[in-house]
Amino acid sequence: MDKLANRLRRDADRIEVTVSEELERRLDASLQAATPQDEIVRRPKSGRPALFWWASSLTGIAAAAAVIVIVNIRQPQEELPPATPANIVAAVPVIDWKTESAMLTGPLQQELEDLQSDIRKAERQVREDIGL
Amino acid sequence: MQTETQLVEAAQAGSADAFAELVRGYRDRLLRFLLTRCASDADAEDVLQDTLINAFRYIRSYDPRWRFSTWLYRIAIRNAANSRPQELLELGDLRDEENDPLLQCIADSETENLWASARHLLNDEVFAAMWLRYAEDMSVNDIATALDRSVSWTKVNLMRGRRALDAELNATEDRSKAYG
Repeated sequence: MDKLANRLRRDADRIEVTVSEELERRLDASLQAATPQDEIVRRPKSGRPALFWWASSLTGIAAAAAVIVIVNIRQPQEELPPATPANIVAAVPVIDWKTESAMLTGPLQQELEDLQSDIRKAERQVREDIGL
Repeated sequence: MQTETQLVEAAQAGSADAFAELVRGYRDRLLRFLLTRCASDADAEDVLQDTLINAFRYIRSYDPRWRFSTWLYRIAIRNAANSRPQELLELGDLRDEENDPLLQCIADSETENLWASARHLLNDEVFAAMWLRYAEDMSVNDIATALDRSVSWTKVNLMRGRRALDAELNATEDRSKAYG
């Protein structure tokens, strides 16, 4: 037993407190007037059978499936009146394009002749280079 | 002479006399402890009365695996906490040292008492743990149960309380040596 524990025990014993006779009578009277209550019956945590949870899960899944089916079920489509082709040509305003046809044949022919001339020159040059 | 177990069983069957006999040995000690938890003598007496009535009322829910004294002190601690004004509980550890019933009791004995120093040095919870350990000889597990704290909290705070009071005790001894 250490010094501190001894001292604390001794000093606690020095603190003299007693229940007075008056308080004692009061306590006895209040105890006589009281009655013990029945023990509080604690409900077990899992009071429902395991089958209950399976049944409730299946019911939930079935309900969810039913909602999905109802929402996505194909609705009967109303028949639309046959579409009449719109007269687009009539709707588009006529623009008066004032243009002239391009004269493309002349320059292309000239280009072809120039290329053929270049090929001939190149061929001649090659022949001279190889000594033919 | 009935044993504590027999008295508990008789009280559970509804005998107020058996319950009164059962708690007779605890009354003075409980009142002394409640002086450390209440604002005045009158409050401590009221809390003692409430504690005993509640204990008798709920005696059928008493689990014999607990020590009876631990169960009784636990009820007393809860009742003492409920007796304090809510605003004081919110403010925390705020004591009126001039009107502290325990300090008045110690002052009346006119002897130096280390519990008076403990009252100044320790907060309410640590003081209660120290009191239950050294004045009531409770085990650490019983103190943890009574205070509704963990065993580790109880051990740590008992150690803190001891350290603070050890230092105070050594300082007091040094002073008395110095003054002859």
